[in-house]
Amino acid sequence: MIRLENVTKSYSAEVVALRDAGFDIAKGEFVFLVGPSGSGKSTLLRMLNRQDRPERGAVWVAGRNIVDMPPGRVPHLRRNIGNIFQDYKLLLEKTVFENVAFAQEVIGRPKHVIKQQVPAVLELVGLAGKEDRLPHQLSGGEQQRVSVARAFVNRPLILLADEPTGNLDPATGEGIMRLLDRINKTGTTVVMATHDQRIVNTMRKRVIQLDRGVIVRDQARGVYE
Amino acid sequence: MLSRLRYTLRETFDSFRRNATLTLAAIITAAISLLGVGLTLLSQKGFDNLLSKWEGGVEMIIFVNAGASADQLGVIEGALGNNPQFVESFGYCDSQCSLNEAEIVLAGEPGTLELLTADNIPTQYKVVPTEGTDVELLRQLEGAFSELPNVFNVQFAEDQISLIGQLQDFFGFRLLLLSVFLLLAAVLLIWNTIRTAIFARRREIEVMKLVGATDWFIRIPFMLEGLLHGIIGGVLASAGLWAWNSQWTSGVGEFPDGSGFAALVVTDGYDKQVMLIMLLIGAAAGAIGSGIAASRFLDV
Repeated sequence: MIRLENVTKSYSAEVVALRDAGFDIAKGEFVFLVGPSGSGKSTLLRMLNRQDRPERGAVWVAGRNIVDMPPGRVPHLRRNIGNIFQDYKLLLEKTVFENVAFAQEVIGRPKHVIKQQVPAVLELVGLAGKEDRLPHQLSGGEQQRVSVARAFVNRPLILLADEPTGNLDPATGEGIMRLLDRINKTGTTVVMATHDQRIVNTMRKRVIQLDRGVIVRDQARGVYE
Repeated sequence: MLSRLRYTLRETFDSFRRNATLTLAAIITAAISLLGVGLTLLSQKGFDNLLSKWEGGVEMIIFVNAGASADQLGVIEGALGNNPQFVESFGYCDSQCSLNEAEIVLAGEPGTLELLTADNIPTQYKVVPTEGTDVELLRQLEGAFSELPNVFNVQFAEDQISLIGQLQDFFGFRLLLLSVFLLLAAVLLIWNTIRTAIFARRREIEVMKLVGATDWFIRIPFMLEGLLHGIIGGVLASAGLWAWNSQWTSGVGEFPDGSGFAALVVTDGYDKQVMLIMLLIGAAAGAIGSGIAASRFLDV
């Protein structure tokens, strides 16, 4: 599903974000990217979503090398990739329903389909009954659930999560992780960057550790070291 | 396709509602800028009308020897009539007519006036040239008509004509420059206001890109919004222009007759053309400006 081959990315002569990174992630895997701040986790996720391009190497997603993908095809790539962010990135003027529905409007889903699928996803993430709330009327955990719903509503192949529990208390963070685990069990590949030791150690999924842009560990059922 | 259209229209009008202050700022900016352009264009036209009126009063006078026969007058009239490209119209002032004029013109010179009689006063052809401010052409006509038999003298108000030509050149160029400058300023102001409004929504654009919206999917509601800003601004500017022009026209109408300023108005429908121009500029600046401004934030 995902393959990196000798990916290198620098932002300047002194700042090398990734150095010869390479790994394979199979369909349906759940992978943690761990490492200290500045180790290259977010940069790696940005590569997978074509928000950034490496100077060298190849990034394969669902069988396509996305490094040389024409800009016009990038939106279509992103429709198969769900994104979850530490700061949720919700549209503050739209309701919960509208935020999730937006991901379907973008791909031209008809109104009757949106009316069916959005409530179903909101139920999955535990937000049934809160469709008409605005983001500022929700707790941090609820806002993150909306973000998860938006990322998942189009049943993407891959879910990329960049520190999704970073702004949440431990209990709420656990709730989000249970949700991501449930989504992963439906067959969606999940790649999650995190600092959260407790979550990594509890879930015992594959761990890829980065240190100053270099992959130093790739361990199935790993822990945070 | 229908769902996209519904989305576009809904997003555009939702944005109007949600960003009311910025919407108002954009519309007011557009209205004021466009009004400036419109007023300059109207001023230019009014001034042109005034100069045309003055120009239309310019005459060349061909003085004919006293006692010229009808055939001899026919030769002169034939020369005038055969040159419509130079002569717009002409009229004959016989000896009595010339005497009546002389009584007015020479009222301060009774001694000279006494010497003039119906038998010895030259008659006149008053000629209105087609290009009343072309001094070189008028000199050529003067030279040509002077050569005709029985022509005593040819005169035209060279100084006044030169002045009118100078005024046309002076004001025409400067008003044109002002129009161009104001037009550029209007477009830049509209664009800058729209850019500020879109900057405030850059986060929204980022999210739209990350969930897979294409650039045009994102741009079109902004462009439609900009188009509406420009059109509404243009409508307000047109209303302002109409009010100004109506007030101006009725005000100028109170000047004394023959004061020469009665023509400093625009009443031939040109103001409607200017309103249309303002609407088109507003719409184009709004739509294109929004498209360009939104594009700056599409690099995600």
